[in-house]
Amino acid sequence: MKDILKVMRFDFLTAKPLAFRGFIIVAVICFTLSLFFSPLITSYITFAVLIFIIPLQSVADKSSFNKLYGILPVKRKNITRARFLYLFLAYFFAELLEAVLAVISFNLKMYKLLPNQDGEAVQLFKESFEDTTLIYVMIIGVFAFICLMFSYMEMMAQIFGRENEMKIILITLGVLTAIAILLSVLNNYDMLPPINVPKLPEDIGGRTIVAVIINVIMLGICLLFGEITASKLAKREL
Amino acid sequence: MENILEISGLNKAYDGFALKDVSFSLPKGFIMGFVGENGSGKTTTIRSILNMAKIDSGKITVFGLDSVSDTIEIKERLGVVFDSLYLAEHLNIKQIEQQLKPFYKDWDSGEFFRRIKEFDLPENKKVGDFSKGMKMKLMIAIALSHNAELIILDEPTSGLDPVARDELLDILTEYIEDENRGVLFSTHITADVERIADYVTILHNGKVWYTGTKDELSEGYAVIKGAENDIPPEIKSRLIGFHAYRNGFDALIKTDDLAGIPDTLEYEKASIDEILVYIAKEDKNERHS
Repeated sequence: MKDILKVMRFDFLTAKPLAFRGFIIVAVICFTLSLFFSPLITSYITFAVLIFIIPLQSVADKSSFNKLYGILPVKRKNITRARFLYLFLAYFFAELLEAVLAVISFNLKMYKLLPNQDGEAVQLFKESFEDTTLIYVMIIGVFAFICLMFSYMEMMAQIFGRENEMKIILITLGVLTAIAILLSVLNNYDMLPPINVPKLPEDIGGRTIVAVIINVIMLGICLLFGEITASKLAKREL
Repeated sequence: MENILEISGLNKAYDGFALKDVSFSLPKGFIMGFVGENGSGKTTTIRSILNMAKIDSGKITVFGLDSVSDTIEIKERLGVVFDSLYLAEHLNIKQIEQQLKPFYKDWDSGEFFRRIKEFDLPENKKVGDFSKGMKMKLMIAIALSHNAELIILDEPTSGLDPVARDELLDILTEYIEDENRGVLFSTHITADVERIADYVTILHNGKVWYTGTKDELSEGYAVIKGAENDIPPEIKSRLIGFHAYRNGFDALIKTDDLAGIPDTLEYEKASIDEILVYIAKEDKNERHS
């Protein structure tokens, strides 16, 4: 575990000079807009976190990190595992930050400072400050989607090569579209059993438990993808 | 003498290239020049030592430890300098130091910055903007800051100007003053090997052509010249890289084979560069040109 933490720190320090300023700017803009227009806007911070992740591979390629990985006293599998844990933690911290900022935004209700309070636009903004459910679903949903999508992409890119990334995206989208079409056709002919979507708990305790479960599932998926990637890459030469 | 590095029976095959039964050892307290033409297998051997390439057969021990099963412990005690920088080019020296120090138990930040100052490297400039010589010094500083007992350099002087090359060789000479250390120095610039190496291993087409002390190598071979007709038949078959031209011939010969050659043939001690050239000529079979 110590080695994984060292490599994660290494990755963070690699990305930080390239990403930190941009992330702060996006986070401040999102938060400021959320104060006046909708707490939902904070959920875009997850996308800003990508700037801590996307440059890592281009830096690694440009700077011959393969050679560095070959000389560092760290197991190769731990280098791969660290990347996936780093991905998860980056999104997880974004999710926490979004939650905190959304609560602040929701409670301050600064849309009240906007002019023309009776106007249609302000009424729309006001609505988004009245129900926490949508904010909750957006933050957790965006986190889960991005976490799943990007850890999957990382796995495929590391196993099949970055040069095949676009091909992988297209194949993945093709498979997902085919599944969606198949399901909708089956649904049209009433061939699917009825699915009871569980209702979201109303109380904070229940929602916290759901959020924790989703986070744990995402952590598990990231670690699983990391393990699959690590075992594939361990067979290759640096 | 205790060996700091031992390679025995190393085999590693790729498509179109193979290391064949490579064996040599480097005793503690010495510098070994690891020479051979481009594509002779120097880098593959180094990658095998570092466990970056998976060997087909053979055994490599560093500090008496197995290069595969003990690779982590070996890398704690090993410094490596490649021909190009392996660090994030957008970072400066301070940021690089922050990144690397947790990886080494014996990392000494004071020593690192002392070396950086000694090598006159700017701390706040992006390392990607460094000259080749500066990048080389930075990699040396990293190796020296975690108290590496063996430094492996893969073509460190290629592309360096003479002043930077001279500085690098001085650094290695100073480093080896501690007799518990060793240096394996791969290069095709043989003048560097002539200057600082105690031992030489010549790799040719994936095989060890020579391994031993530099003195034995330079005493062991001579370049012979003269008229082709003057060569005794029993000597001719022992010539290496025989090259006939209109007015005569030249070739490499073992000094042991010089006994009995006629006075009309001239010979002089061969340099490592000349040895490499004649090995290559022998391969091209210039004897029949």
